[in-house]
Amino acid sequence: MTMVRRVLSLTSGRIAVVILTLIALLAVLGPLLAPQNPLATSDNTLAAASGSHWLGTDYLGRDTFSRLLDGSRVSVLGSLEVAVMALVVGAIPGILSVYLGRTFEWLTLRLADTLVALPFLLFAVAVIALLGNGITQAMLVTGALVSPLFYRVARAATLAVARSPYVEAALVAGASTGWIVRRHVWVKVLPPIAVALAQTIGVGFIIVSSLTFLGIGVQPPAPTWGGLLASDLGYLSYQPWAPLAPAVLIMITVWASNLLADAIRDVSGEAGRAFVNTRKARANRLGKPDPVSTGGA
Amino acid sequence: MTTLSAKAAPGTALCAAEPATEPATGSVGELSTAGTTAAPVLAVRGVRISDQVTDREIVHGVSFELTPGKTVGIVGESGSGKTLTCRATLGILPPHFEVSAGSIEIAGTDIATLTPQQWTALRGATISAVFQDPASYLNPSIRVGAQIAEVIRVKKGLKRREARHRAVELLQAVQLRDPELVYGQYTHELSGGMLQRVLIAVAIAADPQILIADEATTALDVTVQAEILDLLAELREQAGLALVVVSHDLAVVAQLCDEVLVMREGEVVEQGPTSDVLHRPRHEYTRLLIAEHDQYGLEKFLTPLTPQETS
Amino acid sequence: MTTTAEQAPPARRRRVVGTRVRHRLGRLLVTLARSVAIFVPVFLVATFVTFALRSMSGLSPARIQLGEEATPEAIARVEAQWGLDRPFLVQYWDWFTGVLHGQLGTSWTNGADISTLIGLGLGVSLSVATFALIIGVVLGFTLGTLAALKRTTWIDRAITGFVTLISVMPAFVVGIVLVAVFAVGLHLFPSAGYIPAEQGVGPWLAHITLPALALSFDVVADVARQLRGSLVAAFRENYVTGAVVRGLSPRRIFLGHVLRNGIGPALATLGLKFPALVGASVVTEWIFGLQGFGRFANDSAQAGDVPAVQGVLVVSIVLVVLFNLIVNLVLARVTPASQRGV
Repeated sequence: MTMVRRVLSLTSGRIAVVILTLIALLAVLGPLLAPQNPLATSDNTLAAASGSHWLGTDYLGRDTFSRLLDGSRVSVLGSLEVAVMALVVGAIPGILSVYLGRTFEWLTLRLADTLVALPFLLFAVAVIALLGNGITQAMLVTGALVSPLFYRVARAATLAVARSPYVEAALVAGASTGWIVRRHVWVKVLPPIAVALAQTIGVGFIIVSSLTFLGIGVQPPAPTWGGLLASDLGYLSYQPWAPLAPAVLIMITVWASNLLADAIRDVSGEAGRAFVNTRKARANRLGKPDPVSTGGA
Repeated sequence: MTTLSAKAAPGTALCAAEPATEPATGSVGELSTAGTTAAPVLAVRGVRISDQVTDREIVHGVSFELTPGKTVGIVGESGSGKTLTCRATLGILPPHFEVSAGSIEIAGTDIATLTPQQWTALRGATISAVFQDPASYLNPSIRVGAQIAEVIRVKKGLKRREARHRAVELLQAVQLRDPELVYGQYTHELSGGMLQRVLIAVAIAADPQILIADEATTALDVTVQAEILDLLAELREQAGLALVVVSHDLAVVAQLCDEVLVMREGEVVEQGPTSDVLHRPRHEYTRLLIAEHDQYGLEKFLTPLTPQETS
Repeated sequence: MTTTAEQAPPARRRRVVGTRVRHRLGRLLVTLARSVAIFVPVFLVATFVTFALRSMSGLSPARIQLGEEATPEAIARVEAQWGLDRPFLVQYWDWFTGVLHGQLGTSWTNGADISTLIGLGLGVSLSVATFALIIGVVLGFTLGTLAALKRTTWIDRAITGFVTLISVMPAFVVGIVLVAVFAVGLHLFPSAGYIPAEQGVGPWLAHITLPALALSFDVVADVARQLRGSLVAAFRENYVTGAVVRGLSPRRIFLGHVLRNGIGPALATLGLKFPALVGASVVTEWIFGLQGFGRFANDSAQAGDVPAVQGVLVVSIVLVVLFNLIVNLVLARVTPASQRGV
């Protein structure tokens, strides 16, 4: 797809994609790569990093590196679940709100207002604890809570398309709503949704880590990145460096997601295309790559 | 085509630097014909402006002089460099643009020598400007009166109370019907014509000697346009303002100006007293402008049945 | 400021001032009405969902009080005591009217009044949240302003980089790092606990500084980024050129014109940020051992104490609504342009 190629033409886009691919590989292969059983305890507790324990051991003598690798799957899958759930629950009503009449529009708008106003970590904690302690329920609830982002983005893009002359022309020509959505709306709605998706993966990651940090969503012995941090907290005076690895992994993942979101935003839409073109033109003229763009947000 | 060759060296600033600072409220210039007797408040000499990024010259030499109570008009289509010339005079060229040759003197001071502080002191008090789309040149979240009062307080050192009083007077002077009411309103509460009057009031608040009106009447209704032009003329008579009127509309220039510059693609193609240029145009482009204008005016009377075509 | 002095005839002056005051009052009322119009449905929907949680959860006070081996009769008796055998809507109505009167019911676990319990924790949480907001606003505004003033220089790039860094740090990561460095490593601050302000402002500040700092990072990042963006945009506006041409100094232009218009989106961000702040308090209070609102939420949720959780959610919604109301009022005051529906 052209958008993917354009994202990859940006340095920041390439960096983001490479990092996220690595993290995804970690999620798939991590548990297999773990050199030791992440659940096996030993007498060698709170050990420093060494040849046999690359990142040392925790308070039960479990190998931290193995736990980190093993825990990556839950963390990554969790954030993907959040993003996909939010996409489904948010984007579809967002697009439909333009077409299904005023009642539906009013209802979904109010619902989106409500969800946005909720302190969602608090809600996630409450709902998950009450509805049963499973990572999938947890992520689905979280996904629903962050879905207004998709609702708004999809709705705004659809509105812009729906009011454009060519859609009106199609309507006049007797095209069905379904056909218009597939043919015209989808194309315009996709880029902003891709941006939102990348952002939500980052947000989802923070939420998953926060929840697992609190011990919500997973059964205790199973390792997660958040859970690793939580167990490190009690032993900071013995191992002040222990939180470093999971913390850095979480931050890099979130950063890469944001970077990807920015890259997609930069290359999508008319402005984006012009942006890439001027960059190329300037690079050509100067005969050397462009300096880092100074854009903030 | 008078002074295209006058590519002044920086030193020439000294020659003209004598008594020009006095605004001469009674306007001595009223009697003089070509603006040669009084010292000019604004002297633009062979100004060239170029875009440093593309290294292209946009304005290829503009020269004119302006004495108190006089008006110079610059006519040309959009992109002819007239606005850039104005901006150069005000020292607000867009980034990457630069005066590459020539000099501009305001009240005897070469602007190339000005420090940022001196610029700040000069603007508003000596030279000021009004623009097209007046709403955007006023702060949308501050009452318009307060914006006038701000200029008076800062530039003339008046107290809050006096500044407010003076601002209301100014609003009255630009013929706004209910100055007290307008004082407390925001830009979005005022019409285009009213906004342009407010903008003029702001511009003259610190009693400048030069006022640049860059397409100041372009977006307005024809009747409002005429009123604004009358107002400018009146201010010129009363306060001895020197005006630079920039427009793409020959009629505006004809109504107000003593001298006209016709610009096209950065080049001054014709320059001279208004009546000469209008009645005996030498350059083909000027003729074209005048012809178009005649036709335009005639059409209104000749074919009243098809008003659509004039739009 | 504008209503103080004038030389106009007194009668006329009174008229103008009168209309202006009425104007301002009217705007205030419109803002209030609009906020209420948005938040009444929010409140209704949110409380309904909150209340529906119980029936969805299948939890019951009987389990907590009687344990797993209770007979069905005993369970039914306890549930009848709590009024849980009545129709759902009747229960909701009872609960909702109670909420409107400030009564959030009694806890399933210890029968204590939930309003009182939450009230106890709220002091801690609000101290931390307020301090976090102050840090966030001060630091965020400083960084955003500095970056906008020095845009495209290395200062701008350094600030942008720093802001990007802290924006990807979740509150609990920041919290752990702060504990590791300042409490465990340098012994500058206590690592946990809380002392009310009445027992000494110094210790109080010492105890809330680290949690507030942990919470504030997100606010700092968002405010700084938003402010930089809107200030840079405001600098490109024509009214800045206008002010330059009028001979106003750069300082005055920035303070009086650019900041005034650029501040709106940053304030709006603050309104959006508040729910996240309340939410993140669950995590930070856990790290710093604060017996606050978030800790109470977490504990009651894990204990399956449904009325307590409902109470927590209601209070959090009220907090968010109140905060947004304040932000909206400030916004209306700062930028009348927003009243045009911009």
